[in-house]
Amino acid sequence: MGLRTIVVSIAGSPSSLITAKYAIALAKLLSVKLVALYVVDKKVLQDLLKSRIFVDVEARVYERDLEQQGAAILERISKMALDKGIAFESFLMKGVVSDEVFNKAQELQADLLVMGELKEKMSRTEVFYDEGERILRRSPCPIVMVKNPAMVEALYKEIGPL
Amino acid sequence: MRFSEFLTKESCVMDLNTFTKEAAIRELADVLTKQERVADEEDFIKHVLEREMLGSTGIGNHVAIPHCPTRSVKGVVVAFGRSKQGIDFQSFDGQEVNNIFLMGTNPEDLNIYLKLLATLSKLLNDRIFRQEFGNAATPDELIAVFKKHEK
Repeated sequence: MGLRTIVVSIAGSPSSLITAKYAIALAKLLSVKLVALYVVDKKVLQDLLKSRIFVDVEARVYERDLEQQGAAILERISKMALDKGIAFESFLMKGVVSDEVFNKAQELQADLLVMGELKEKMSRTEVFYDEGERILRRSPCPIVMVKNPAMVEALYKEIGPL
Repeated sequence: MRFSEFLTKESCVMDLNTFTKEAAIRELADVLTKQERVADEEDFIKHVLEREMLGSTGIGNHVAIPHCPTRSVKGVVVAFGRSKQGIDFQSFDGQEVNNIFLMGTNPEDLNIYLKLLATLSKLLNDRIFRQEFGNAATPDELIAVFKKHEK
């Protein structure tokens, strides 16, 4: 029984494209399908509403903006995957990031989850609230955490186009 | 996301010279502009004041967090100001505001900005943090309180 599906969690940070490139390279080398997930973090918006830092209309605008950013980055990754000739699908979701990634990875019966690097040092609060940390702990399948952007770029070039 | 990584000594004003909401926002925006963190100060202030029109960012416990996303700022910016006299921010609890965090973000850094606001909110919910933060008299002491509670 070989690998069939790799899922990559896209956080929307500046290093997201590096994470995506490594996932694309892996999918190409292993000849498997790649599924990219972007989750609009509704929990953080709800928390900011509850603490009165945000008002309703403002939270809705942020949600829309995050959704647009997510759609744009998934579109970009989709083109990159197409260029490399791999089977690709993406999902733009909303909710608690770690819950959504966990549920989708489980639903897709993912064989591998690729995610970005976590910060080297985290405070107790950060560890408790960080969604990346939660994904790492809860993932239903093995995880690859992407490090070393220079190596990733080199590998991505090496796998060549379609 | 550690708030203390975004707060610098130079962006803390421990005794604001202003006595109204708009003037305090302007004073803090000016601090950020002088540090070359804001490209267009008037545009930044305009967006912050427009946000205030939607509802006060006075969140209670003598704290206000005026904020907005705008292309006029570079990355995520934070300035802190303390008013000894207190400023009427139309806070929901009716109390005057003594501690103001002016924050802004370039739309490209929205995710970082939201996490930073959430971090600040969690810290301010902690009574012990609020007490120590209130006792901090200098920028160094203030940043030290953040660092202590973000360990």
